[in-house]
Amino acid sequence: MTLDHIVVAGGSIAAVTAAGALRTAGFGGRVTLVSAERAAPYSRVPLSKGVMIGTETPESAALPALPDDVELMLGTAAAGLRVDRRELILAGGGVVDYDGLVIATGARARRLAAPGQRGELVVRTLADAEAIAERRADASSAVVVGGGFLGMEVASTLRHHGLEVTVVDMEPPLRRLLGPWLAEYVTKAALEHGVRLVISEGGVVLEGDPISGVRLGNGEFIAGDLVVSAVGDIPNAEWLEGSGLRLANGVVVDERCRVAPAITGAGDVVSREVSPGVFRRTPHWSNAVAQGRAAATSLLDDGASPYVPDHYFWTEQYGLDVKIAGEPPLVGEPDVLAGDLDGREVLLRWSNTDDATTAVVSINYRMPAARLRKMVA
Amino acid sequence: MTTIGSRTMQIDINLSKCEGHGLCEQLAPQVFGLDDEGYVFLKVDQPIPAELEEAAAAGARVCPVAALRVLR
Ligand SMILES: Cc1cc2nc3c(=O)[nH]c(=O)nc-3n(C[C@H](O)[C@H](O)[C@H](O)COP(=O)(O)OP(=O)(O)OC[C@H]3O[C@@H](n4cnc5c(N)ncnc54)[C@H](O)[C@@H]3O)c2cc1C
Ligand code: SF4
Repeated sequence: MTLDHIVVAGGSIAAVTAAGALRTAGFGGRVTLVSAERAAPYSRVPLSKGVMIGTETPESAALPALPDDVELMLGTAAAGLRVDRRELILAGGGVVDYDGLVIATGARARRLAAPGQRGELVVRTLADAEAIAERRADASSAVVVGGGFLGMEVASTLRHHGLEVTVVDMEPPLRRLLGPWLAEYVTKAALEHGVRLVISEGGVVLEGDPISGVRLGNGEFIAGDLVVSAVGDIPNAEWLEGSGLRLANGVVVDERCRVAPAITGAGDVVSREVSPGVFRRTPHWSNAVAQGRAAATSLLDDGASPYVPDHYFWTEQYGLDVKIAGEPPLVGEPDVLAGDLDGREVLLRWSNTDDATTAVVSINYRMPAARLRKMVA
Repeated sequence: MTTIGSRTMQIDINLSKCEGHGLCEQLAPQVFGLDDEGYVFLKVDQPIPAELEEAAAAGARVCPVAALRVLR
């Protein structure tokens, strides 16, 4: 079957990378990007920083435009798929025919509010960030629910701009992601910056309508002018239910990002079977880029070689610019390769029992990212 | 296909935004490099050579902090 029209469902970095990669690879047919959001493609990364606080404009997060010959259908959600007929069904009832499809519909913020309960803030879209920017002017305190990367970054930004900030989680912040050593290192900086960290093993309940604070498992109430939930994300895969495609914690892709004949997937919406029955997503920017490219190449050439997962990510909080090459969590204690731990400018190495490098982390330590990545080859 | 050959494309680097993640370099090593401090620099003269326009734009699009703008 020849490919004349490739449709990319999604409008963020995975979708944009896939669409761009189709052109770079020389695909000359039609490319259409179908995105639920009205905004032209932008990066989410600055949302938890300047955009959320209003010091950066929404436009500053915009991604450079795709080539003119990529058709954009913005504000258009995909609602279903007829795999046998190669038809993408749109939310309004329209149908788009495709010869090849890239699924890149990403993820959305998980929420904790009860149905109808107003005032819960999240940070996933431009509109979310703008809503916080609007409300923070009158706010002097914030409760951030969730001590993962996102929650801790949001807390860092709000604290930096003078708010009293409490982070509540069921477990110590960042530990599941970074491992105990690095999590503690970053947490220490958070405490020094005056963020309050609370562990509530029983979770929290958002209270008030509009929400005015959170109730902890032990009955304590913590009030906040802003209550921000950063409790994970949910893959936008419901629209594929009934399509026959394999869904398990997202759309399941293989090592070439293939989902089914003429269908590939990339980014936060996809999962991979890392061991039998275990489906893992890798919801990070560099991974969305690597998969976006693979989703494009696999569509054009079924014999394309497997993609190389890019285990590189970063977080910026409490004056720490942390770059991580390698697959977390980081187990045990690191060696200091260069710099100074207490001076918070340091290059760290994690290794396994065979002394092979499993991860290299730079904290405020300036060096080219490619060199960091190469150290974990 | 994209029309090539205009040689009017410029890449505008906002160095104060660059955080040195190197994704631009990874995608388009002919166009972008990172200095010893890890900050981006252009390896080619502006305007971008026609045959590298596509690569340059693709490299700019993957910057997570939108530090690279494409001016046409
Ligand atoms: C505030 C914030 C900060 C972050 N910071 C970092 C960081 O520092 N480092 C890092 O590595 N990662 C970070 N991330 C994660 C990173 O942004 C994501 O991994 C990345 O955005 C995933 O891209 P994606 O294209 O797969 O999906 P998404 O960005 O989720 O985009 C999904 C797209 O699909 C569209 N869509 C959804 N449903 C449909 C549908 N039914 N039909 C059509 N279109 C649909 C949406 O409108 C959207 O355009 C951050 C995320 C957030 C929210
Ligand atoms: S991708 Fe962006 S942040 Fe990273 S090195 Fe290039 S310009 Fe800098």
